[in-house]
Amino acid sequence: MALVPLLLAACSTNVVVSGDYPSALTKPLPYHVGLVLNNSFTQYTFKSEEEQNVTMALGQSQSKLFDRVFTDIFANKSRLQTVKKQTATTPNPIDLMIVPSVEEVQLAMPFETRLNVFEVWIKYNVQVFNSNGEPIADWLMSAYGKTQTRFLKSEEAALDQATTSALRDAGVRLIIGFERIPEIRDWIEQKQKEQPEKNKSLAKSGDLS
Amino acid sequence: MKGFCCSQLFTRIFFPGLFPITCLAVVFLTGCSTSTVIDEYKVTDTHLDLNQGEQVVIMGRRHAGEYETEPDFINCIGGRLANGGQLKVMPEQEFLDSFYPWFEPRIAPLKLKRMSRILEDPMIAERIKSLGIRYMVWVDGNTETTDKSGTFSCAVSPGGGGCFGFASWDKASIYEAIVWDLKQLDEKGRVKVETKGSSYMLAVGAPIPFIAQVQSDACEGIGNRLKGFFLEGAPAESTTPASAPKRNSERMLDHRGMIKS
Repeated sequence: MALVPLLLAACSTNVVVSGDYPSALTKPLPYHVGLVLNNSFTQYTFKSEEEQNVTMALGQSQSKLFDRVFTDIFANKSRLQTVKKQTATTPNPIDLMIVPSVEEVQLAMPFETRLNVFEVWIKYNVQVFNSNGEPIADWLMSAYGKTQTRFLKSEEAALDQATTSALRDAGVRLIIGFERIPEIRDWIEQKQKEQPEKNKSLAKSGDLS
Repeated sequence: MKGFCCSQLFTRIFFPGLFPITCLAVVFLTGCSTSTVIDEYKVTDTHLDLNQGEQVVIMGRRHAGEYETEPDFINCIGGRLANGGQLKVMPEQEFLDSFYPWFEPRIAPLKLKRMSRILEDPMIAERIKSLGIRYMVWVDGNTETTDKSGTFSCAVSPGGGGCFGFASWDKASIYEAIVWDLKQLDEKGRVKVETKGSSYMLAVGAPIPFIAQVQSDACEGIGNRLKGFFLEGAPAESTTPASAPKRNSERMLDHRGMIKS
């Protein structure tokens, strides 16, 4: 009887995703962004018990990716605990607040697809709030990664590699796609219009003083 | 032939019972060969310029859903092309990380036109220049098992263990490499390689594998040809005029050292 849990554990696949992500070669947007990574995101673990028990801890790795990407695509980045309204007295106010969450993870293993590849899909919901704490965009973004089966390579190593490549793909979508979200594009246009007016009024107040 | 006769004589005298096994092994060893077809196209017959401080990067295509060009294969070509330091080759992963996200599978340029648009970004152009990347070689294709037959099984008992049976499988590698010149923004040539081979596993007690080195032969074929694009003395002989585009096609049977045109 004592052997049963041992045998079950031997049949399951446990992966802790361990990828590293490079800096993005991109021109940062001149805004201050606040990144809210809550516990359900930083400690996210995917579990599947369909045909084979698979447990994949990707919270730490995806937090590392989001942290890196938002540091690179904005001129300033801060980590926040929650979305909070920025007041006139807030020092170094935040322009945008980002709250990502995992909507869905799907795996395809060679024994299911008869293909020689491990595939991973991750769907994120990236919520964006303005400095008043009002929601301005709800972006559903999916990422895909795969790796080929290799001789003498474990299932764990293959899934780790496929998930790391899916996370790199999520980074691509964030870097290239974030500015292209219609609501974000409108927000940037609005900000760009406001900026000269702000400069004008600052100049005027400077003249008066 | 002489070697075979000697081994025949040796087994007949010292191990008469092993003669059929030796015969089988010889049959398998000769059967376990690979055949490679290389098709090469060069825009000019002259060697490609590579100035001091300039380097080449070899990249694998990974945009297709059902396969990916293996990173090991790209490293293998890189090793062959580097030719002991004669040519500077930037490792693929280092390049991907330096230019993240512009060459990731989702958005990597498939055509030169798209590449030229990417190079319009001053940040990317500046990095290409600072790293001295002159040529980009895109490799597309993969190695797959095309056929399998036979079975063998192994058993372990307290008194010992062993395997019995016979299995064979065929593998095929098909790859194409395209050379882009990032300075002139044009294509300098292509090399296509097709390698096929059969492997066998005979198990009478202990398993005896006879593995055909399909992928490494494809790497050798494509690597040597690419070397001919850049280096003097590398296999790139031609009979066509220097100004005309050149297409070389050759068939060779290696592993036994036999080459056929």
